[in-house]
Amino acid sequence: MSDFRAGRLDAMRAKIAAVEAGGRGDSGSLPFGDARIDARLPGGGLPLGRWHEITGPGMEVETAAAPAAFTALMIQPLAARGEVVWVMRRDDLWAPGLAGLGLPPERLIQVCARDEAEALSVMEDALSTVGVTTVVGEAEAVDLTAGRRLQLACERRGTTGFLIRRRPFGGQARREAGGSAAATRWSAASAPSEPPAGEFGLGAPRFAVSLERCRGGRPGAWLLEAARAYDLESTDGTHPLRLVAELGDRQLAPALPLHANAA
Amino acid sequence: METVRAVRQLSAVSPEAAALGLRAGQKAADALALVPELVTAQAEPEADAAALMALADWCVRFSPGVAVDAPDGLFLDITGVDHLWGGEAAMLADFRSRLCANGLPFRCAIADTPGAAWAMVRYGEDGAIAPPGGQARFLASLPPAALRLESETWAQIERLGLRRIGQIAELPRAPFGRRFGQAALTRLDQALGREKEALRFRRPPTPWFARLAFAEPISAPEDMARVTADVAAKLCARLEAESHGARRFELCFHRLDGKAMALTVGLSLPGCDPIRIAKLFAPKLDTVDPGFGIEVVTMAAHAVEATSGRQARLDAGRNATIEEGLAPLVDRLTNRLGPERVWRAAPVESHAPELAAARARPFADSGEARPWNPETPRPTRLFRRPEPVEDVMALTPDDPPTQFRWRGQLHRVRRAEGPERIGEEWWKAAIDDVRTDHLRDYYRVEDAEGGRFWLYRVGLYGDAANPPKWWMHGLFG
Repeated sequence: MSDFRAGRLDAMRAKIAAVEAGGRGDSGSLPFGDARIDARLPGGGLPLGRWHEITGPGMEVETAAAPAAFTALMIQPLAARGEVVWVMRRDDLWAPGLAGLGLPPERLIQVCARDEAEALSVMEDALSTVGVTTVVGEAEAVDLTAGRRLQLACERRGTTGFLIRRRPFGGQARREAGGSAAATRWSAASAPSEPPAGEFGLGAPRFAVSLERCRGGRPGAWLLEAARAYDLESTDGTHPLRLVAELGDRQLAPALPLHANAA
Repeated sequence: METVRAVRQLSAVSPEAAALGLRAGQKAADALALVPELVTAQAEPEADAAALMALADWCVRFSPGVAVDAPDGLFLDITGVDHLWGGEAAMLADFRSRLCANGLPFRCAIADTPGAAWAMVRYGEDGAIAPPGGQARFLASLPPAALRLESETWAQIERLGLRRIGQIAELPRAPFGRRFGQAALTRLDQALGREKEALRFRRPPTPWFARLAFAEPISAPEDMARVTADVAAKLCARLEAESHGARRFELCFHRLDGKAMALTVGLSLPGCDPIRIAKLFAPKLDTVDPGFGIEVVTMAAHAVEATSGRQARLDAGRNATIEEGLAPLVDRLTNRLGPERVWRAAPVESHAPELAAARARPFADSGEARPWNPETPRPTRLFRRPEPVEDVMALTPDDPPTQFRWRGQLHRVRRAEGPERIGEEWWKAAIDDVRTDHLRDYYRVEDAEGGRFWLYRVGLYGDAANPPKWWMHGLFG
């Protein structure tokens, strides 16, 4: 009997998933390679063929350095499969820095849009292009309509979008859009690095990352390390981000004393 | 009226003024003494040059080879195009009637050589047509000034009693050349067709040119879109038949009132797909004001390259190539935003960090420059203008800062790396300008919150006159 029930439930779940997918095929997911993160994401990894939102705390709203670095690390496995288009409004993204993190510059096309509406429409255009696997955009806010349009563009080719929330020229914050059509929302901040014992200088870059919202998954917060950044022998095929520790509360994450962060 | 060497003089006169005995080059005071009621206007050479350019663009409807002969002439190379009008005479008649309709005073002539045509227009009979090889007869009766010589030279020639070009042509060449210089001989030969003359065409002549003329002028936007597609199809059919593709297409609308409006689109890879090209033009058609109507549309292809004939794929859509997906995207974005807003970063061998990455066209071949070394950390965000950093405390001259204030916020440095000393590229400057104290010491620092910054110091401690200054150049994130 319980087998029968389980079978019925599975069939029902599949039906609901098909309805939610809206007829599009499953685009797969991109696992982080660590069960503690992947278990919280639907399908065991970052959903592809959707778009994701990345924010940063405090000053990062203007500079968006940590979110950009985190995004560049996250999309690295995707860059191996096709082109990356990075749409921005302020052209301060520095390709040598991304190359150091491991994102190949010959795969990256940078576009500088004149305003936010143009940035979003360029993103949409790039998302529905053959041969592009990833589109990263920088915009201040995405309302529901624009978010839905991005989602439709992602579904057309199974492209994955990343939207870095950024107010590139400072100024007053616009009113927050009510909801969002994004599949996940992340917040990425720099975290103090830890050089190997006996060495001085900076260690591999660390990020306090929290998954704030996730459709079909559970939020969480982690301390991640880009272990292979600025390293020549960086081609062992694993995900560039390594989990250092799980963070209990993302609000407290940056303020935690360092010895508590060490894995 | 113009001012030459602080003397106001007449630069041009109307036919009425000429009838009163005024001439160009006369002093303004003299002219006003002769004709007190003279109406004068300041000469505008720039506006004249612009108008001449516009006229040259308009003349493209007759021939793609139009050369501007400043300040007031145009050469049209009509070799091989006159038969479209039914011969030189018919073409000249059409040309005259269209220019007359525009109310422009002009003179025109047709000859084998630019020099002969120049002479016949300015000193001969208006509208004359010299038959092939027959320019010598037309030139013989013209004054030496018609040879496009320096004014001193022709004045001297006339002073010697040589009042006709025919007389000069009969003279022995060598003494004439010695007396008046090689330039005078060259001009004579050019006029008579004994020497070739290169014209500087406004547009380099391109064999990839298509033209559509309409029986009725068009002005509706949808008609303009349709003729764009038609003329693109006409040109692209030729390109495709010879397996060529072009990187730049120029579309030109010729209005009834003689104005020509040009639009240009560029492709990142040479192509000849008329539908794609028409689509790239489509958003720009709004900027064309059809006025009273458009009667001719032309399209020229530039930067034409041979493309290897590619067969259309059977399994299109499964594994897309650059030509199918990415190139059209880059073209769309480039034509919409401008070429400087779409780029791929290419390495440049330079010590200055801000110069180490150049904006390259997305499908350009990467040059010879070595790629960036991934082992020297560079920031994710590099500020175009470094931002000043205040309240910097550093222990000893070469130590990284222990704290600094940037954008009004105090950062306490927890870990630091550096300095990475980046000096001036002295081999690029003149030896006298090279200074050894032009250097930046870069530090990669991390503050207590984990923010990673790229700071540099200009100048050295201990220099009382120029205390060191600190700048924020980038963020690692």
